[in-house]
Amino acid sequence: MERKVNFNINGKKVDLNIDSRELLVDVIRDHITLKGTRIGCDTSNCGACTVIVNGKAVKSCTMLGVQADGKEIITIEGITQGEELHPIQKAFMERHGMQCGYCTSGMIMTAYWLLSNRKNPSDEEIKRYFSGNLCRCTGYQDIIDSVRHASELMHSEEEKIVVEQR
Amino acid sequence: MRSEKEMVTGRMQYIDDIVMDGMLHMTVVRSPYSFAKINAIRGGLNHTDFNSEMKSFGEGETGEETGPGETMFAGSHAFYAGQPVAAVFGKTKYESEDNADSVEVDYEPLKPIMNLNDSLKLGPVHGSMKSNVLKRTLLGKEFSIADSHIDLSDSFMMERIATNPIEGRGLVCHYDDNKLNVWISGQSMHSIKSGLCGTLNLPPDRVRVFHVDTGGAFGLKGGMYPEYAIAGFASMKYGKPVKWIETRREHLMASKPGRGVRGDITISARKDGKILGLKGKVLVDAGAFGGSIAEFSPRFIGYQITGPYAIGNVYVDAQALVTNKPPQGPYRGAGRPEASFLMERMIDRLADETGLDPVDIRLTNAATEPFKTPTGMTIPESRSFLQDAIRELGYRNFRKPERPGFSFFALLPASSPGEGARIRCSEGKVKVWLGGNTHGQGHEFFVKSLLSTEFRIDPGLITLEYADTDMLEKGEGSWGSRSAMVGGNAIIELARRIIKRIEKEEGHYAPEILLDGEYDEQDFVSYKKTLISYGANLVTADVDTYGNVHVKECRSYYDVGRALVPHMVRGQIIGGCMQGIGQTLYEEISYSEDGTLLTGSISDAGLPTAEKIPEFTVKYAENPSEFPHGAKGLGESPTIGVPTALARAIELASGKRIRNTPVRPDYLIG
Repeated sequence: MERKVNFNINGKKVDLNIDSRELLVDVIRDHITLKGTRIGCDTSNCGACTVIVNGKAVKSCTMLGVQADGKEIITIEGITQGEELHPIQKAFMERHGMQCGYCTSGMIMTAYWLLSNRKNPSDEEIKRYFSGNLCRCTGYQDIIDSVRHASELMHSEEEKIVVEQR
Repeated sequence: MRSEKEMVTGRMQYIDDIVMDGMLHMTVVRSPYSFAKINAIRGGLNHTDFNSEMKSFGEGETGEETGPGETMFAGSHAFYAGQPVAAVFGKTKYESEDNADSVEVDYEPLKPIMNLNDSLKLGPVHGSMKSNVLKRTLLGKEFSIADSHIDLSDSFMMERIATNPIEGRGLVCHYDDNKLNVWISGQSMHSIKSGLCGTLNLPPDRVRVFHVDTGGAFGLKGGMYPEYAIAGFASMKYGKPVKWIETRREHLMASKPGRGVRGDITISARKDGKILGLKGKVLVDAGAFGGSIAEFSPRFIGYQITGPYAIGNVYVDAQALVTNKPPQGPYRGAGRPEASFLMERMIDRLADETGLDPVDIRLTNAATEPFKTPTGMTIPESRSFLQDAIRELGYRNFRKPERPGFSFFALLPASSPGEGARIRCSEGKVKVWLGGNTHGQGHEFFVKSLLSTEFRIDPGLITLEYADTDMLEKGEGSWGSRSAMVGGNAIIELARRIIKRIEKEEGHYAPEILLDGEYDEQDFVSYKKTLISYGANLVTADVDTYGNVHVKECRSYYDVGRALVPHMVRGQIIGGCMQGIGQTLYEEISYSEDGTLLTGSISDAGLPTAEKIPEFTVKYAENPSEFPHGAKGLGESPTIGVPTALARAIELASGKRIRNTPVRPDYLIG
């Protein structure tokens, strides 16, 4: 059954007609054609499709598109400012937090959520927050290092802003 | 190629991101039964439309396969749960999945063979065979040892594991202007091309295969599968682009898993730990069909079973046995971890029997000079590397009661038969094509690093292009720890040919001449030897009262020849260590006795999460190889060394003999 939905995705308002059975991940990938959100499993285990819905990390295969009606969504494409990378993206590059790159969008979105809740997470907290994001290539170590590095980069950016404001 | 910046911004273009006008989505209808007679199929594309047999399967292919080979669709019987029976299509993936309901299949379930014992005991699965023994090879020769003090026998099983890259298999086929164009997530475009030519009966000039960004593979995507031929056939039949994207459940039920190996081993030794002989039976769960790596696996395991040790008497009876499961495929290591597990477990057992330190037994048996094994493998001197490894891994610094597991192994990479490459210099840019295709190992890094050194130009002027069978005539593939080693060697060879040509034409070489000129060189650069290197691991672990294993430390020391791209070397080693831990503790593809798949999700299949990681230490030796860049193989080393060292660590922590992977908590507290 076709349904009309509207939501805000990466700061843009979107009005769509979608099939009511369509998963949010398919709406994002196939209707809005933001292909950076990946599909890695069909049982909501892998976390490759993680996006931010109303401030929380959500596996977008666990939600129907119609359930996102009226909500605010951020995807991997929404965290860069033009060509300026987000500190988390910079940190993943500097600490080589990926090999094949397939899980990376989901990893970065989970990091985005974690670091918006916890400024300075411990390694144990990072591991716990990432227990729903699977990676087969890296053995996770470089991802954890990237997230820790991202929190440092975000701190130093905040300090820079504070200094400039003074 | 796209690289790290595209990865962090979501701009990679994986196979599922490709959309074409008029594209059909394909859904494969699969047998739910592990073994069944098929009385009738109505609907969909099925074996009455397309009845070709598997041709050319990629990694592990020897050209001597006897089969029985897999047909692209099940015909009179379904031989494994997940075998394609029909294919349906739709304009969207939802529509195509809906259309699966239109297919009716009349199955008559039969009793499947789901383990190696039954395969040996029961009658043949295939009417064309006399027994379920698909292939049998005898390696080394029979012997008897009169003066042996100790004879030890044991039996080991490594269960089947899914490769489980986070991106499954997938391709888009577009038959256009008499040519089948294929975009695919893969490790070897040339092996896919020859598989498609063979199954679709097309000449080479009518098939073109393009590589796209690939989200991991680990052996999964090195060769041919029925779904690829079916998608190609459908695109030709309907005259439209056809896309097929594997779901995770399909991956777990119908892709080719690795391992599935049993070893029954007897060693004869002296009291001082010197091993005088090894006899073994190696049984490989081949799955339902031959014409796959399963025909090669037992022989490969038997060949290298004594690893880095000089053991004078060896006799191995190596067999591949038919079961009602998907055909065996290569999973990272592909025979190497299995061989090492059998040998290393017996050495640890001998240590417990003699009271000697397991590492001292390894020193006693390491080769003090180049040694040709009775199975025909020639290994270089190994004792000095082992001495270094014991020191570098800090083995002797542990004091009782703390005792680590230690492993020592020989890596036999697939360096033969070399690799194909092309270098084209035009308009001030250098473009490179390689026969082995990156799926997360960062080939572009070594390509830039090696060629900027050879040509003395800025690495920014060099790009690794997406593989394309029309742009490179001949290529092998990315597997068997080979790409940086033989792919790197190939591009250096071609670069030097270009430099020589410039020297001949211009009197001298200068980067400006190269960048101002037009040069195009391609060749398959042969290398027929197996370039063996050594490695060792040290692992510590605790076992809690519930039988859960907590891996504390995982240390690696491998001879990488030369680390071409240090961050990739480190990343490959840590990632591989985690796969070794996964195999040992969590991962398995399992079935009930009646053939029902029990591991239908990626977490059931046991993929480890971030919470399971230990402290990793990565060290490497750089003893340069004979190649101009000095590199040796690397990618599979951790999957060889970690399971064996971890098995020993668990044994020491639990007091239970470890014979099988995965090691389950109920076994440890039972």
